[in-house]
Amino acid sequence: MNLGPLSRITPQAVPQEDVVITHEDVDRAHDRVRVSAARAQRGAFSKFRLLWLLVGPGILVMLGENDGPSMISYAATGARFGIGFFIPFVILTFCMAIVVQEMTMRLGSATHRGHAELIFDRFGPFWGWFSMIDLGIGNFLTLITEFIAIRAGLGFFGVPPWAAVGSALVFLCLAVAMHRYWTWERTLLAIAIFNLVFVPVALLTHPNWHSVGSALVTWKPLPGGLSQETLIIVLADIGATVTPWMLFFQQSATVDKGLTRKDIHLGRIDTVVGAALAAIAAVATILATAPLFAHHMTAENFQGAEFAQALQPLIGRFGAALFALGIVEAGLVASVTISISSAYAFGEVARRPHSLNLPVGQGKAFYSVLFLCAATAGAIVLIPGLPLVYVVLLVNVVAVLAMPPALVFLFMLANDREVMGDLVSPRWANILATSVVVFLTLAGLLFGISVIAPNVFAFLGGK
Amino acid sequence: MTPREKGPGSITSSDQQLVLSSLEPEQLARLKKHLIPRRHLKGPEKFVMWSLRIYLLFMMVVVVYQVWTSLR
Repeated sequence: MNLGPLSRITPQAVPQEDVVITHEDVDRAHDRVRVSAARAQRGAFSKFRLLWLLVGPGILVMLGENDGPSMISYAATGARFGIGFFIPFVILTFCMAIVVQEMTMRLGSATHRGHAELIFDRFGPFWGWFSMIDLGIGNFLTLITEFIAIRAGLGFFGVPPWAAVGSALVFLCLAVAMHRYWTWERTLLAIAIFNLVFVPVALLTHPNWHSVGSALVTWKPLPGGLSQETLIIVLADIGATVTPWMLFFQQSATVDKGLTRKDIHLGRIDTVVGAALAAIAAVATILATAPLFAHHMTAENFQGAEFAQALQPLIGRFGAALFALGIVEAGLVASVTISISSAYAFGEVARRPHSLNLPVGQGKAFYSVLFLCAATAGAIVLIPGLPLVYVVLLVNVVAVLAMPPALVFLFMLANDREVMGDLVSPRWANILATSVVVFLTLAGLLFGISVIAPNVFAFLGGK
Repeated sequence: MTPREKGPGSITSSDQQLVLSSLEPEQLARLKKHLIPRRHLKGPEKFVMWSLRIYLLFMMVVVVYQVWTSLR
């Protein structure tokens, strides 16, 4: 057996009679055998096969974060502000996501421990519970918005809300019913790729490629200058790419998949590919709704499917239906990944079995938390008169505000030589991570100022 | 290490061999029940963590205030 960095501080203290092999271990071992076989072979095909076997958590977390509220935020961005400032800005936020998520993948591969578990063990329950409360509240609010997106998207096709929420819960049960991480991951990946449906929708709007290129190169200023409205959209777009649940999900999924130190290089590729795919879908969504901005259409009160209805005169019924389906897919995939992120964290903190390789009998607590979180969030969406769009934008804002404390835990763990060994973050990664924390904190403070003293922005040339 | 079967007929000896030859010790599910030793936090680390905690609490109050004013 190969020894990781944690072997210096854990296995010696473990009584030998405690070492029990479980079904979860056997399933993971089967996956690792295939990885080892692919790594042992030479040739381009074997390298591609190795990459194929190891990708998953990075792509899933990035496409999972292109969730219902994120796609609605991007749609609102395009419809209200066009592309000049926001296309380069969204690409920048995905670069931030790569910096952050690479650390979680490296932590998971080096320690084989989930994020919640590491925080509790290394910093103690006092800080651990703070972190869990942030995650629990954030995940639950975000889950509500996933069901809002599903309800809005299916509403375009005339599906009643109760049927939309019910179908999503059935989908969630089917997604985890395989009791095998590998099968779950591949199935969800296949569905998550449908996030790119926003690309054909964008093409149907016949974007002005010269303007798109110009936006990328020149990065135009914020339309209308700084105001509370633009800041909410800016924060919502940041929250659409970096949120606390992503840290917990990717690290736990990396552990569940069984990645090791040898896999870190391909884990990085997985994360970058995921970010690139998600950035393409995000930019496509902004491009798709930008014609609403160009036609000076008011989009302040649009919900997910209402963007589809508004676009129908421009891109036809087929294009509008694709847009609505994209919103549904975004909500469905994220409802699965976020529920699983909560269940992983619960299992890690409560020291209960937590793996998608677990049969239901051995993972009752894990699967119960997963389903109860989703079912409760789904039920709340059925409450009449809920201000849905407002909730959606606000959830992304809350996610951004909760990121700096979460990132400090991640930063300290990734630089903890006792658990990471020689895999501690290099200097350049620390500089980038610190920049992300400072940027997110300043963005949050700016939002706070805009709420408490909105007149301050008049001095800065805004509204 | 001495692996043993979880229950009769559930995990075979070939499964055990497979697990022991393919996984790192820390990857075994049952080993994860053992805690990693607590880290001693230094003064500047505690300062940053408390500052960001206060920042988050303050910003949550701002969000609640913003929701309240918007609903009015």
